Amino acid sequence: MSDISHSPYIEVQRMSYSYPDGTQALRDINLSIDHGEFIALVGQNGSGKTTLSKCLNGLYKPTRGDVKVDGLNTRATSIVQMVRRVGYVFQNPDHQLFSANVWDEIAYGPRNLQLPKDEVKARVEEAAGIVGLTADDFEEHPFFLTKGMRQRVAIASILALQPHAIIVDEPTTGQDIPQSMEIMNFLQHLHGEQGYIIIIVTHDMPIVARYAKRVIAMGQGQVLADGPTADVFADSAALAQTFVEPPQITQLAQRSAHLGFDARALSVEELVQQYFVLRGG
Amino acid sequence: MNKTLLGYVPERSPIYAIHPFVKLFFLLVASLFPLFISAPEWNFGLIIFVLLLMLYSRIDMRIMRIYVPVAISMASIIFLAYVVLGGLHPEFTEIGRLLGIRVYWERIRDAIVVYFRILPMIVMMVFFLNTSRERDVIVAMRTLRIPFVVTYVFAMSLRAAGMVIEDFGIVRQAEQARGFDTHGKSLPYRLRKYVMYMIPLFALSLRRSEEFSNALVARGFAFTGPASKTRRADFILTHYRFTGLDAVLTALIGLAFAALLVLRFGFGWFTLDRSVFLPWLENLLLRR
Amino acid sequence: MPPIVEIQNYSWRYLRAEQPALQDINLSIEEGAFVGVIGPNGSGKTTLAFSLNGLIPGQYQGIKEGTVKIAGTEVEAYKAGELPQMVGVVFSDPEAQFTAMTVEDELVFGMENLGLSLAEIRERLDWVTDLTQLKPLLEKPPYEISGGQKQRVALAAVLAMMPRVMVLDEPTSMLDPVSRKRVFDVLARLKRESHNTVIVIEHNLENLVPLADRMILLHNGRVALDGETGRFFRQAATLEQAGVYPPGGIAFFHGLMQRGAYTGEIPLTLDAAVAALEGLMENRRHE
Repeated sequence: MSDISHSPYIEVQRMSYSYPDGTQALRDINLSIDHGEFIALVGQNGSGKTTLSKCLNGLYKPTRGDVKVDGLNTRATSIVQMVRRVGYVFQNPDHQLFSANVWDEIAYGPRNLQLPKDEVKARVEEAAGIVGLTADDFEEHPFFLTKGMRQRVAIASILALQPHAIIVDEPTTGQDIPQSMEIMNFLQHLHGEQGYIIIIVTHDMPIVARYAKRVIAMGQGQVLADGPTADVFADSAALAQTFVEPPQITQLAQRSAHLGFDARALSVEELVQQYFVLRGG
Repeated sequence: MNKTLLGYVPERSPIYAIHPFVKLFFLLVASLFPLFISAPEWNFGLIIFVLLLMLYSRIDMRIMRIYVPVAISMASIIFLAYVVLGGLHPEFTEIGRLLGIRVYWERIRDAIVVYFRILPMIVMMVFFLNTSRERDVIVAMRTLRIPFVVTYVFAMSLRAAGMVIEDFGIVRQAEQARGFDTHGKSLPYRLRKYVMYMIPLFALSLRRSEEFSNALVARGFAFTGPASKTRRADFILTHYRFTGLDAVLTALIGLAFAALLVLRFGFGWFTLDRSVFLPWLENLLLRR
Repeated sequence: MPPIVEIQNYSWRYLRAEQPALQDINLSIEEGAFVGVIGPNGSGKTTLAFSLNGLIPGQYQGIKEGTVKIAGTEVEAYKAGELPQMVGVVFSDPEAQFTAMTVEDELVFGMENLGLSLAEIRERLDWVTDLTQLKPLLEKPPYEISGGQKQRVALAAVLAMMPRVMVLDEPTSMLDPVSRKRVFDVLARLKRESHNTVIVIEHNLENLVPLADRMILLHNGRVALDGETGRFFRQAATLEQAGVYPPGGIAFFHGLMQRGAYTGEIPLTLDAAVAALEGLMENRRHE
């Protein structure tokens, strides 16, 4: 039994990935992801961030190098074994919902794992509870639910597999701010209270600033920056290559550094506080 | 080769210099040829001719590999159907027995004739699809003066099909991400589980169809009513000019068809009696 | 000259809905204005957009009260096919509004529907592809271009019809920041070079605010706030209540305002914010 506290949960070793038609999407990636991390994978379209995220749970198998999850090599392990460890929530819930009612939708995963009936029931109820679905919702047909509810059902169906890590593709795209905050708060709860590794693939920088502890910035198929959020936002050279800009508040702080502000500010509250401190109370 | 919705088209090809109308005309007319040809060696020659056209057009012949299983299974089905269920005439020659069923030469002959009638049509369709980009087909239809609504519905179907194909890839991954794995599972299992793909595809199409129809309205398009009667400028046609070469080719195709009819009905060419291959095969089988 | 868009006491309830989507809307928009419409999801923004080009009540069932006039004429009074010439709409899903098999065909489609001649089509095609920088993409089919490029095509296709009013319903919500900027670059150029009235519905305010002369806040189907952009963003409390989170620079000055430490103009761009902050710190130094 490996020493969990010291070996990373996900290890990417000199990994490259090329599409079947030959174009290379990822080049020589090295990463390690530990328990308890909250990571944002950022980069413009075409940078490889989505491709990398799909290599992390075995949806794509590397053409060179290895990806190991919980010690298992993704190339040598079945997809069913992989998704029990790393769940993947797609951007549009309509791409996965197919059952006639919410209960069956969430139960699909555990049933597919051949779990006994009472275990399936327990998992469905637990997953539904975490996302805020009640017993009244179980009979609903997913097609007729609101987008937010459908997304919750999709997440619950992944949670029912009880993975250790969850990758969420574009959790906030197309949503307004209160909805985005709701889903992010929920992911934060999963991270803090339930101990999940959370990886979000996104280009919503204010959200990254507010919730992610670590940022991996991708460009042209390579990792251009990897570190704590404030550090990466301060690395303007790397960010320029990836066409990613820090959120406006951080940019304001960076451009006001000569006035005494901390260029690494991540939130409005922080910067406001600094102002009053600098003003001398 | 570039992948389009209709097939794999070569990047560069002499066939692109020809107006799409000619290609469609060729497909429509030449597909009629086998109907008037019974002798299989002539139809076989027609297949070779189209294959040569494909080579000339720089089509990557490796794509033909996809069609080989189709050709084989079709041959088996036709052969079996005719041998077991073919017509019976007292003058039929029995050449043996297969698992207790009498095998008649005439039935085998009929199977061969039918097979070599269908095969050229398929090869011509493959040739057409693999030398036409979507726009070429639309231009061909417009040149034929097919009503705009029909052409447009065809184009929209292509677009919709394209979207469904893109969605299908994502849906497959999304279901995999929930532990859906068809690896090593039986075919009936896979078919049963196909509902997992169909329902999301259906749901996505439904949701998009509203925006799709709104987009049509916003572009001023109307299927019926006075707005649909406006004279369209058909800008798409300005990309292609119907040249002298195109006229000559069209005439040639028309003449070839006329010649076929004359030879067939005037001089009895291409019929079973005139076949050289069939008697040879019959002798071969009867000698056994 | 009557305002190009005049909405009076307008309410709309979808057929099977419990609440009206829009209630008592009174809005008047002058020709040539650049207006931003914001508000949380469900506040009626899309309903408003659809009401302007006749999709409501044309394609949707429901109960209408009040009037929606474009260039002085009621929306329902226009004959089929006339209103899209006056009001163009760009929708939020780049996939669903691309209906043809190449970029050029998509751009030309609307113009053909209007019955324009080949020469006119050619001219407008040149103009619109130059404005949106689509010339290299003209022969490409939809499956070879990105979402951002598709949205520029949609924008160009609508512009090619030269409507007097352009309505964009969350045009960039599904796009990445780079594509988003490019779409807004086109809008900025449009604002400089032509007299179109532009109404943009958006969540993402960073790019919209510098361009919009006037902002409208919709909340629960009503107009909660309506005014010149600078004045609009002084209303920090109302905005927050409606679930609107302005871009960082504006939010920062809201924070100062709320503590009584700032009473000046709300800076609408990052550059303005930096300048204002420098100004503030200068003032502090002089005290």
